[in-house]
Amino acid sequence: MWFSHLITCGRRHLLPAFVVLASALGLTPTVLANERLSADHVEVRWLAPETFAEGETVTLGVYFEIDPGWHLYWRNPGDSGAEPRFQFSGNADVGDILWPIPKRMAIAHLTNIGYEDHIAYLFEVTPEAGAEQLLLEVDLEWLVCEVECIPGFGVLRLERAVSAETRWPDSERAIKTHFSARLPQPASVSPWQITGAWQQLRQLFIDVAGEGDEPPQLFPGDGGFVASGEPDWEPTERGFRAQIGTSAMAAPETLDLVLVEGERGWAFPSVLLGDAPATRVSEPLASATFWVLLLSALIGGVILNLMPCVFPVLSIKLFSLINAQGEGGAALAHRTREGLLYTAGVLTTFAALGALFLVLRASGAAVGWGFQLQSPGVVLGLALLFWVMALSFLGVFEFGHGLMRLAGKSQGSSSFMTGVLAVFVAAPCTGPFMGAALGASATLPPIQAMAIFIGLGLGLALPFLILALSPRLSARLPRPGAWMDTLRQFLAFPLFATVIWLLWVLGRLLGDSGWLLGSSLLLLVAFAIWLAKAQRALWRTIALLLAIGATLVGLYRVETQAPPTPGDVEGEWSAYNPARISEARATGQAVFIDYTAAWCITCQVNKTLVLDTREANELFARHDVLRIRADWTRYDQVITDSLAQLGRSSIPVYAFYPADGGEVQLLPQVLTLSILREIFD
Amino acid sequence: MKATSTLLAITLWACSGAALAAAVPGEAVPDFSVVDAEGNTHTQADYEGSWLVVEWFNKDCPFVKKHYTGSDNMPQTQAFARDNDVEWLTVISSNVGTQGYLEPAQALSVAQEYNLQASAPFLLDVSGDMGRAFDARVTPHMYVINPQGTVVYAGAIDSNSSANPAVIPESTNYVQQALEESLAGQAVSVPVTQAYGCTVKY
Repeated sequence: MWFSHLITCGRRHLLPAFVVLASALGLTPTVLANERLSADHVEVRWLAPETFAEGETVTLGVYFEIDPGWHLYWRNPGDSGAEPRFQFSGNADVGDILWPIPKRMAIAHLTNIGYEDHIAYLFEVTPEAGAEQLLLEVDLEWLVCEVECIPGFGVLRLERAVSAETRWPDSERAIKTHFSARLPQPASVSPWQITGAWQQLRQLFIDVAGEGDEPPQLFPGDGGFVASGEPDWEPTERGFRAQIGTSAMAAPETLDLVLVEGERGWAFPSVLLGDAPATRVSEPLASATFWVLLLSALIGGVILNLMPCVFPVLSIKLFSLINAQGEGGAALAHRTREGLLYTAGVLTTFAALGALFLVLRASGAAVGWGFQLQSPGVVLGLALLFWVMALSFLGVFEFGHGLMRLAGKSQGSSSFMTGVLAVFVAAPCTGPFMGAALGASATLPPIQAMAIFIGLGLGLALPFLILALSPRLSARLPRPGAWMDTLRQFLAFPLFATVIWLLWVLGRLLGDSGWLLGSSLLLLVAFAIWLAKAQRALWRTIALLLAIGATLVGLYRVETQAPPTPGDVEGEWSAYNPARISEARATGQAVFIDYTAAWCITCQVNKTLVLDTREANELFARHDVLRIRADWTRYDQVITDSLAQLGRSSIPVYAFYPADGGEVQLLPQVLTLSILREIFD
Repeated sequence: MKATSTLLAITLWACSGAALAAAVPGEAVPDFSVVDAEGNTHTQADYEGSWLVVEWFNKDCPFVKKHYTGSDNMPQTQAFARDNDVEWLTVISSNVGTQGYLEPAQALSVAQEYNLQASAPFLLDVSGDMGRAFDARVTPHMYVINPQGTVVYAGAIDSNSSANPAVIPESTNYVQQALEESLAGQAVSVPVTQAYGCTVKY
């Protein structure tokens, strides 16, 4: 009966294979019916409508009812077993196999991935145009296993009228709907997002961001490279990190992953397998231990010493240290005190900032690093300070009096103030490590968050402290002499450069009036300094009043000034607009977001050297990328929120959403054209 | 920056624990000492100096049958190895009372029935020690080892995980390919694949 059925169906080509199989495996020939078949431990049948509609695509199923204790397989079967195979023929277009979300099963010492009880493998079927009758055959091969496995083979045949509408028997539709609800959905609607994946020492790490007490389940589509067992999960501040073994196979460029929560799943078909976040700097050090974070903060702080906006302040201090160079223990004691006071200044300021950060966080305000320079008053104040310092360096007036004592010479309190100052000017120069450390501290418990701030401060203060404390190192410092005046005058110029930069920031914050206000204040103060050289006390008093008055008026004006109208973004770039971004994402357009601010030097360098170059412009245009410039020069709640979603609280941040709807990629903080080219490969 | 990534790597390494014993391409083959169906002992040292293929076997596994009684593919590959002076050991790690377990006498008659062309009768690894040392997961799980005792291939016999012998002519026989490349003095182009088949019944 079995063979005669095959022959009457005209599927003679199947015969040799079945004969070979029947003899080779000693199988009892399977009972073949038209629309259903029975085999060892499974019943197989169609889940199909009573009638099809012409040209209408219908999801139908090949439905297996499985004996208790036995199972069938997913597309990656796991450590053993094999996925079922389907070969369709007939007068309809049949899409790829749609695999409902599977589960893991422990089979002896191994893990299998598949289905128990029952499973419908689903297919999208469209009858050919003009067909009155739909004729479909599927040539099946499956493996059903308990601990031992039995292969099954068979053919299912479907004949249905094609009429005006698709009509389902209720019971069949219910089963089909049950399984189609379990098909993985696109990553774009997933509450869990994969934010990074990398391999290290035969272990695969995958960062998953999302809300929930339990991690999602994670299934690899590629069983050759990724181990089949349940990953080890550990919580991170943004979700969870999975650790899974890998085989000795060479790592693929992308991973095919499915995340499952309860009865819902989401497909991530091409997760970029990148480098570890510590070197890639595209992700916060999510679940790295607190100590690693603290060390990062410390190193970040040390790196800050080299940043252009900190260096002038430190050189001032260095200058005064050289000045204080003397013989014997007295000099050392002096330097020790200087160094410790400077450290105290830095640490106190960082502690104060940390406390402010925690207070603001507690009150629900999301703040980002660099926020000091989002206030025009602070910018103007710093510009004034550096201006006066620069004038003093040039010898316009002698310091030892007045403002210069703040950042200046040998008095203890001024060392302290230098430390305070160093922190404020360091803020815009967010080093890569600061980004990660601060992103992490945004969600850490208060004590740990504070420790991160102190760690950063310690890192900033350390090189100076070491220099001050170590007699051997400081012995290498040059002897004082005439060269010091030259050096002092030279150091005025970095300060002037800083003033220019601060005025430019002010211009970005306030528009053209920012420049005018700032420059006028500097002019008035310079005039007051000149006036203060007069012999008569009256003129000196007028000078003091003028300086104070101009400063107060200037600060008041900049703080009350309305910001320039938003949205004037140069050229091809658009201002940040969440609606526009979602629209582009929905229509499959790629989106590149440049989170930037006028006070962020790294951002400006990247913009000039990479993003606004002709090559980058062509690259973006060729791939039809929506370019968004999220300007964070002034505090902006919407942009702050969107940064928080990316797990960052400092900039620069470069986010790229690929055209295929894949998940967001965060690029390194220091951009190059080759990095830009890579994201389109 | 470098210091941190090194530190991170060390931390991760410490967390990941010691690597499990396994026969992995590029690494030394694990030691073994197993008695065959005729009572002769085979050890890793016996095979130093020659190319060696190790195969895991279970006579009732459909995937094993595919390559023996269904097609004679495995015996033909064994004969190819023998003709090129490559040693071949076929191991049964099924425990007493599990599928595929064979007493020595039964093993000798199954060898006849299945046309086994290996260098020795079936190795009876009843304890499963050799299987676990290799981390053999399925039957058939295949390993190719060079004369220096380094694993050069681990994984499936071929490229199609169907249980149907009809697919064999269109499949790539990874073991034969690894042997051909090795004997020609070339590096093995596909050193690792995902082994398919039935679980080894330890």
